[in-house]
Amino acid sequence: MRRLALVLALAAAGCPTAGDDDDSVPAEPCDAYAAPCTYVDADDGDLLDVVNSLTDGTTVLLSAGTFAMDNEVTINGVSGISLIGAGMDETTLDFSGMTVQGNGVFAVGDDFLIQDLTVTDSPKDGIRVEDSAGVTMRRVRATWALGPSSSNGAYGLYPVRVSDVLIEDSEATNASDAGIYVGQCVNAIVRNNLAARNVAGIEIENTQYADVYGNTAEDNTGGLVVFDLPGNPIVGHDVYIHDNTIRANNRANFAPGGTVARVPAGTGTFAMASRRVEIANNTYENNDTGDIAILSGLVVESDESAWAHAEEDLVGDPGVLTYDTDGDGNVTNFRTHDIWIHDNSHSGSGTNPDTSDIEVREFGFLLAVLFGSTPVDNVIYDGIGESAFDPDSAAGNSNDNHICVATSEESFINVDAANLAAVPQLEDTYRPPPPFTPFDCDSLTGGAIQLPSMD
Amino acid sequence: MGASVGGPRQRGWARTTGWTAVVLLAACPSADPDPEPTPADWVVEVPASGPLPEDLADLGLFRWDPSTEEFTWNDGVVPYDLNSPLFSDYAEKARALWLPEGGAMTYDGNDAFAFPDGAVLLKNFLLPADLRAPDEDLTLIETRILVKQEGRWQAWPYVWDGDSAALDPSGEVIDVSVVGHDGEPVAFTYLVPQRNQCAQCHELDSDDGRYITPIGPKARHLNRDEDLGDGPLNQLTRFAALGMLDGLPGDGVDVAWDARTTGDPALLGDEDLNEAARDYLDINCAHCHNPAGVNGISSQLFLNHDNENDFNLGICKAPGSAGEGTGGFSYDIVPGNPDESILVYRMVTDELGAIMPLLGRSLVHEEGVALVSEWIRRMEPDDCE
Repeated sequence: MRRLALVLALAAAGCPTAGDDDDSVPAEPCDAYAAPCTYVDADDGDLLDVVNSLTDGTTVLLSAGTFAMDNEVTINGVSGISLIGAGMDETTLDFSGMTVQGNGVFAVGDDFLIQDLTVTDSPKDGIRVEDSAGVTMRRVRATWALGPSSSNGAYGLYPVRVSDVLIEDSEATNASDAGIYVGQCVNAIVRNNLAARNVAGIEIENTQYADVYGNTAEDNTGGLVVFDLPGNPIVGHDVYIHDNTIRANNRANFAPGGTVARVPAGTGTFAMASRRVEIANNTYENNDTGDIAILSGLVVESDESAWAHAEEDLVGDPGVLTYDTDGDGNVTNFRTHDIWIHDNSHSGSGTNPDTSDIEVREFGFLLAVLFGSTPVDNVIYDGIGESAFDPDSAAGNSNDNHICVATSEESFINVDAANLAAVPQLEDTYRPPPPFTPFDCDSLTGGAIQLPSMD
Repeated sequence: MGASVGGPRQRGWARTTGWTAVVLLAACPSADPDPEPTPADWVVEVPASGPLPEDLADLGLFRWDPSTEEFTWNDGVVPYDLNSPLFSDYAEKARALWLPEGGAMTYDGNDAFAFPDGAVLLKNFLLPADLRAPDEDLTLIETRILVKQEGRWQAWPYVWDGDSAALDPSGEVIDVSVVGHDGEPVAFTYLVPQRNQCAQCHELDSDDGRYITPIGPKARHLNRDEDLGDGPLNQLTRFAALGMLDGLPGDGVDVAWDARTTGDPALLGDEDLNEAARDYLDINCAHCHNPAGVNGISSQLFLNHDNENDFNLGICKAPGSAGEGTGGFSYDIVPGNPDESILVYRMVTDELGAIMPLLGRSLVHEEGVALVSEWIRRMEPDDCE
């Protein structure tokens, strides 16, 4: 056995020192925490021994310094674990020497807190928490030292199938997919984080009840996006994106593959296969392809049956929604509807759509051809699923999907993507002046966004 | 020359007389001139709760003699084998189970059998020095134990050093070198999973929460003949006869494909090929990739042998959050085109972050890749567009 060199805080005894050569280890760190608490020193502590011997409710304190890890840090089979470092700039879990596959930190366990540390160079995801209830990531950083590279791990901060998740005051950089990826979650708050130099900065995927605010997404390929993917049994809805800064997301797409490889550089925000999304009071600057796109899920998966779910398989709840169904009574979620966009500021965007790959990132190419030297409008709607379209008159357009662009300072276009000519022309699109009738509604069907309710 | 096993600690390596003979030892007296104490000298002692002992020998289940390279199983410890085994970097496996006095497994047609408290499942991992002679020159690396305590399975790894094995909850990352199939040395990293990583394969989700479950002891995997010195006998029949299995039906027990009979997959008929490939994916992937797999639900890729939904099987399915795991390809399975199927890519890649299975593979399982590739190649072609 490897020598255990840790300090175990026993119930009433504070943090006695243990081992024969670590009497320099301070006894104090655990004093501020309820027992059980374990302090692990980067110089001689073996973090893996600790995490594989946890009992419920343990606080694991990590000293300042770099922990050179050869395997992932795992939490499993226990709840109420807190993994707390000495600060984002003080404690680093370094996985650059790892020769087996794994994430940086991988937790499956309810009421999990990770705070005040950096995870760097994990082969897979930086911090992944799966299938858990009650997760907090606070003042943590996930990054890869090489800078943006397709060989980096996929996701920086990655709660998936988690309920009640809070991510705040954290950073995610250089991920080869998404920096912060909230996937298949119910009740999520994502606030005051920085996502930079990732392919996608912040992704809210197949998630119900998300409040996303105060974040900065910059220098990614795409800034802050909301979508459902086909085949996932959780229908995303009620996502509030407000008071974020989404700027200069013009980094060439470096994803090694997958859906995210299709995101054109210069994308601010898109909502795809989404419903009940409010995008308000955000600052958009210098996103070269465009600021906000509203896209049907059929853009990435045209087979509607791939979006069908038996009702009994669904996760979460519909809230105030009535889910779409197909002819067989299955719930479908390819349609994007009830999107409310208002009071965002826009400057400098849409001047240079990404034309780097006509097949993979055709949307950027389409916009480039369509707009030519004209700046791309602030809000781009693909119009897929509308029953009526007329480039020339408000009365000739339906708004079946209840798309609301409620601020006259923003500009809007319905490109009618389903019927585009081989060489699309702006005169074939619907590009109304404010108030964008019939897209001038200023509320969501069913009332205001339902915010996450977290205990 | 034995397998070179290095890494964090140097380990001794062992010379064996071969695994076939080792299996027979379950019932045969050892021919060793200087015999180990007979099983009668030791008692199986499994703690009802809490951690297992530091020294594996204290469980009293079996001994491994590195000089003769033979297992000696204690009374009541019954070796068994599976029709389609999990690939683990060409390690040979030696599995056995022990049940407490009077305890029995309860038959289940689909899922793992139900086990009484105190039950122990053990799996030894032995690396051959030369992959061309997989039964010879074996080094015992690790023993993984599943023990049922207070109604729940617990997983514990032990790592061997010579003739003893120590509890090692944090696992090991070990540098290993063997002679490869081409006669050239192959160096790779062998992972002894940490305790929490055991759960990554053995954990399922249910309405009552997550729980650890065995993978192998299912009727269809155990339904095969093995010779423990008493002649070839169906393992289920043997367990029932020993009073270790309740509820075995007289007929209608499903049987998984026997991987030993696969041979060149190109020569298999369509039906056999489908069965062989589906059972390969079942045992190698479906422990996560099933509708209850904690670590697999997120992907919605379900490779369990009884999944009948083509989309969830991966056919023309775009991956959800595969990240760098796509190899630049678009669909899990492109029928007729294994070379552009993500499923195959993840079996052949050595990119950390893209390797599948998630744990325990550094080397490519060439036979498995050939099988799954042939299965995809023989599907009705579809470009999925």
